[in-house]
Amino acid sequence: MIEKIGALWPEIILFAAACIVMVVGLSPTAAVRRLCAPLAGAALIVAGIVAWFTTPAAHGPLPMLPLFGKTLVAGVGVLLALLLAGTPDREYESAIARGATGYDPIRANRAEFWAFFLFSLTGAMLCAGADDLIWLFLALELTSLPTYIMVAVSTGRNRSMEAAVKYFFLGALGAAVFLYGFTLLYGGTGTTRLFAPAGEPSIASILAAQAAGPGINAVAMTGLVLSFLGVCFKIAAVPMHFYTPDVYQGASSAVAGFLAFVPKAAGFFTILILAGAAGWWGSSPVDAGGSLPQPLHQIVLIVAILTMSVGNALAVVQSSAKRMLAYSSIAHSGYMLVGVVAGPGPANAPYTSNGVAAVLFYLLSYGVMNLGAFAVLASLERRRADGSADEADDVNDLKGLCATRPLLGWTLVLSVVGLLGLPPLLGFWAKLPLFTSAISSNEIGLVIVLGLNSAVAAYYYLRLASVALLESPELTNDTVRSSPFPARAVAGLASAVGIVLLAAWPLNQWAMQGGRYQRVEPLKAAEGTPPARVDAGAPAAR
Amino acid sequence: MTHLLSHLASVALAASPPAEGAARAAAPVLGRVVEGPWTAVLIPGLPLLAAVLVALCAAGRVRSKLPAWITVGCLAGAFAAAVQTYLAVVHQPGLAQGVRVLEWIHLSWGEKPGQSFAADFGLYLDSLTMLWMLFVTGLATLIALYASEYMAHDLGAGYNRFYFAFALFVFSMSCLVMGDNLILLYLGWEGVGLCSYLLIGYFYKKPSAVAAAKKAFIMNRIGDLGLALGIMLTFVQFGSVRYAEIFEAAAPYLTLAGEGRIGEIPLLIQLIPVLFTVGAFGKSAQLPLYVWLPDAMEGPTPVSALIHAATMVTAGVYLVARFLPLYQCSTWALPIVAWTGAGTALLAATIGMAQFDIKRIMAYSTVSQLGYMFAGLGVLTSAGAAYHVFTHAFFKATLFLGCGAVMHGFAGQLDLRKLSGVAFMKGWGIVGLAMLVGCLNLAGFPFTAGFFSKDMILAEAFASPTYQALGWVLLFTAGLTAYYTFRVFFRVFIGPKFYEPGDELHAHDDHGHGHGGAHGHGDGHGHAPAKAKATADAAHDFHPHAPGWAINVVMVLLTVGSILAAYPYLISWVPGLIDASSARVIEVAHGGEHAHGTFFGYDPHAVMYYVSAIVGAVGIIFAFVLHFVGRTGAATAKADALLPVFGPLARWAQNKWYVDEFYNFLVRVPLLVISHVLHLADKLLVDGLVDLAGFMPQAAGRGLRRQQTGALNGYAFGMVLGVGVIAAIGAVLLW
Amino acid sequence: MPTLLADTDVGSYLPILLLITMAIVFAIANLAASNLIGPRRTGHVKGMTYESGMNPVGTARKRFNVRFYLIAMVFLVFDIEIIFLYPWAVTFPNIDHAVADGAVWLGRILFFLLTTVVAYVYGYRKGVFRFD
Repeated sequence: MIEKIGALWPEIILFAAACIVMVVGLSPTAAVRRLCAPLAGAALIVAGIVAWFTTPAAHGPLPMLPLFGKTLVAGVGVLLALLLAGTPDREYESAIARGATGYDPIRANRAEFWAFFLFSLTGAMLCAGADDLIWLFLALELTSLPTYIMVAVSTGRNRSMEAAVKYFFLGALGAAVFLYGFTLLYGGTGTTRLFAPAGEPSIASILAAQAAGPGINAVAMTGLVLSFLGVCFKIAAVPMHFYTPDVYQGASSAVAGFLAFVPKAAGFFTILILAGAAGWWGSSPVDAGGSLPQPLHQIVLIVAILTMSVGNALAVVQSSAKRMLAYSSIAHSGYMLVGVVAGPGPANAPYTSNGVAAVLFYLLSYGVMNLGAFAVLASLERRRADGSADEADDVNDLKGLCATRPLLGWTLVLSVVGLLGLPPLLGFWAKLPLFTSAISSNEIGLVIVLGLNSAVAAYYYLRLASVALLESPELTNDTVRSSPFPARAVAGLASAVGIVLLAAWPLNQWAMQGGRYQRVEPLKAAEGTPPARVDAGAPAAR
Repeated sequence: MTHLLSHLASVALAASPPAEGAARAAAPVLGRVVEGPWTAVLIPGLPLLAAVLVALCAAGRVRSKLPAWITVGCLAGAFAAAVQTYLAVVHQPGLAQGVRVLEWIHLSWGEKPGQSFAADFGLYLDSLTMLWMLFVTGLATLIALYASEYMAHDLGAGYNRFYFAFALFVFSMSCLVMGDNLILLYLGWEGVGLCSYLLIGYFYKKPSAVAAAKKAFIMNRIGDLGLALGIMLTFVQFGSVRYAEIFEAAAPYLTLAGEGRIGEIPLLIQLIPVLFTVGAFGKSAQLPLYVWLPDAMEGPTPVSALIHAATMVTAGVYLVARFLPLYQCSTWALPIVAWTGAGTALLAATIGMAQFDIKRIMAYSTVSQLGYMFAGLGVLTSAGAAYHVFTHAFFKATLFLGCGAVMHGFAGQLDLRKLSGVAFMKGWGIVGLAMLVGCLNLAGFPFTAGFFSKDMILAEAFASPTYQALGWVLLFTAGLTAYYTFRVFFRVFIGPKFYEPGDELHAHDDHGHGHGGAHGHGDGHGHAPAKAKATADAAHDFHPHAPGWAINVVMVLLTVGSILAAYPYLISWVPGLIDASSARVIEVAHGGEHAHGTFFGYDPHAVMYYVSAIVGAVGIIFAFVLHFVGRTGAATAKADALLPVFGPLARWAQNKWYVDEFYNFLVRVPLLVISHVLHLADKLLVDGLVDLAGFMPQAAGRGLRRQQTGALNGYAFGMVLGVGVIAAIGAVLLW
Repeated sequence: MPTLLADTDVGSYLPILLLITMAIVFAIANLAASNLIGPRRTGHVKGMTYESGMNPVGTARKRFNVRFYLIAMVFLVFDIEIIFLYPWAVTFPNIDHAVADGAVWLGRILFFLLTTVVAYVYGYRKGVFRFD
């Protein structure tokens, strides 16, 4: 118990900060209210540093995942805090500043917005460290629930409300699917513990025993598959992807940038944990590495192929930059699933053969690059006929951006070219291990699909880049102006710098650490596989 | 420094040259690598750092000489690291040392050998590597210093661009030479090609420079294709691209070759060195791919000196020397190398005789000397070839930098008919002296370094029973070389003082180093008429621009280097190094009597010194008589009167034997025709397919788009349906 | 150790299946039956909302003041607090100090109370308790 709390310090810090922000943000003094974002950023920095020094998990197949995941979430979270600056209460606050209205806490959303921001990140961190199904479920929901509200209040317009309602209901459906999966997993193994010390029953060790013996039983396998499909909602993978473009477009660009990373990170942590519990099996039970248990392997493979193909095909026909990025976010989930299919490779596999490390590094790269693209969109506004401003969304709003606003323009070009995966930028170094690990695990067909999809992605990414770089600004372009929040441009700039510098930084070694995989020992039959039948009415041991 | 010198001495004493036929140093242990000193990382690392810093300078729009000092400093550091590493390497002679910098490419698709592909960013340090790195980093430092003054007219963006490419070149060259696997070598190979392209096309506003850059790039691509195929075949045959593992896997074949049973070696193994040779010929400008190198002189002269004379073009020699064990396993590879080398040497020398542009003459002499090196490798004196690389690096850099100083000082004038007596002008003494030393070396004047190194190759050619004819070709070429070298010296550097400035005074953008007013003589003297004859005493409208301190210091150092290269210890030092590396020649047991070629009954090793000294002297005398004696102006010499004697030959040589035109007719025209035909097919067929491929995602997108109605229940239905279908697929798969 | 779902005989779920089937059949049958055999007499008065005999006034879809919801939610916070506190208070005096540390138990509930305090402070700042 105490040692579990010891590993939770980053989450505790964020939680405490969320409580403080929640109260501070309701202050009647505008200057105090404005402290929300800096407080959240500071808390994230502290949490990131603390996360870096937390001890790795004592047991489980991916002992370094919590450490990596928490640090990653905190690191990208700092940039997200910059990106989200000025999102809540924008028009309300300006009305107060004009003296048009007084401050009424009940109408203000700022405190809740920033508290929910921190809660959501806390949830993503908790996902990375989960070792119990119930914990995992709560963490996933803690990640998602605040995002519904964040979408709803992000622009103060009806379309945000609509997006939030869609997101909420479909999210509930997704949650129901993986909750049902968790239930069946519990039914198939008799415990909610995912990982436990050697010799104690846990889902991982029981599944390992089943896989080594008669094969994973149908109920547990159904549970695994449904859990995976449910979590597909969080990562926006087919068939749970439908909401993505509508929600991203309905939300403000900054919140869309948030949605593209945080739930996705939480979802991938969950998928890795579940896959780790199911185990990547080699040709014999003693082999580390290999592939996931059979139907699950095929299903992840199918979902990966469908996700990247559908995402890219739909992105090609978009004229809204946000929708395009939403579909590309779907496609990127498909790419990352390739790493899950490839698995961690044989014991002591080098970085390029470790699909788990590839997924983790890709998550980091995607977080940074995607943030740059959304930051550029969030930094631009289109003035409407009635004088009010709306965020830039249409691809044409970006025409000639490199000429009119070089900093934003080049950030956009770097981001999309990075997302496309052109060397020598970060995206290339992220995509390369996905390819190599899939080759190493003999998934040649998948590699071909991945390559074809990368080519299709070039079509729309280069279109974005060329619109910004090559086309001359429209004559009517004076309707597009910079948004009054320099922090967003700073976030974009930071990610542009990251896209260039992180490519040279040996962060892949860190991801390699995070993706370290150790096989879970099968539970000995004497210790309860299948667990001894006690009387049916006995309450759960834990 | 004294430590180094005493060390050189001890090495030289330990290893006497094989040319003398004396006892040889211990054979190298191939296939074993021990941990090397970490300082080796600095050799590629510091130039890379310099490139990054210069790039930052460019980003910061620095308009001072800062990039030059950064580059010179970093390169000097790299040189120091090379010396340090060299000392560590020769400490364990015959043993290669490895330093793994970072994990790079690791792929595996199974557990069995041959089912993995690994290429690390690792360094392979043996004495061959260190010989190359010593002169590469040393010369690069000096030439960077020289260029700091030479390029000063272009301060700002151009200066930064120059030094960026320069530093990147040294980094690439270090990767090429120091890499411990073929992939890293290939990276360096392409990297130096890229930098060469960038630097040849440095004056990118000048069409001829752009054309030359393209030509160099395309010619090199042809060679690179061969190298790439060779690397692939190596991997297929040996299951690895790491040197140590290749040598280990090739050891049985080498034994076979050593026993004279070369016919038993599989054909594909024998093919590998032939493919490598194609790559080496491209990079080192040998027949038939040499035509890019003379045109490459469009680049700034320091670039010509470093890249296109001293270092990059010797990469092919390095490649052959590195893989000499494989070459010795092949029936055809070495004869191809030998005869192509000799042919190139002769052809380039004949062209060089008829040119008037002094820089171009130097370029052809480089091609010719590279031919010597390949001939040396072909006749199995890797030590001679490497020593020639080493001496050539110094004296050719000296010659180029001397030409560069002339070009710099006389507003881009390079025509030997328009310059005379330069060495006697005020401030030009050092350059003149340096040119004399360089010319003596190139002509193979006795007791110069060039003399000794050329001798090793000649002697070995005559000593080999099968290469007598080749020896005669090389000997004849040596005479031609002496002639055209001193033709330049006698006409340009001594004799009556006369000059006519080049056209850079008038057309800044389309010729020479295309500079603006920064030259100091540009705009102020813009009124000099194009055809005005200006003698030195009446030069009121143009002043030759005598070289400054940086150029002079570098010229002096290089001259000293050229002279010192003949230092007796060095003559045996280089062979000692080569013998302790993979470039060591293995003895081949001949069936019966040990055949040994002779030179008119004498041992070639003993008499070749005298023969080549005489040949060289004859060439110099010819040049003296035809181009110096009785010459009163710059424009003509006695030689011109002899031209009719040769009939069309002289004109053909002047037009470079119409090789470019021949290639144009033989390759470009057919290619153009084919490309037009293919273009049609491309338009109709391939474009159609590509359009289809582009259309498919769009069509798919349009189709799928209908699902994105925006209606909540539709989405929910889609999700449930999707989960159901996929779960059903899972169920089918499970049972 | 509980019985595994996977290990139970599928047959033992037959009653549940039966029950579900019955529920579905019952619902459909009722709807169908009333549709088929029920008399259809429609009219204005028949279609009126039944309001305990009174004539309906206005529409039934009336918007409530948002404060009702706020109060309901604040109530929930404290309600849940009591629900958790009560069993804790009953159990706390009886815990075996050999197996569990009383201080930890106390710490847990104090942390829980702290979260409630945060919620209260938040609600207060939000102005939930201002009834003007």
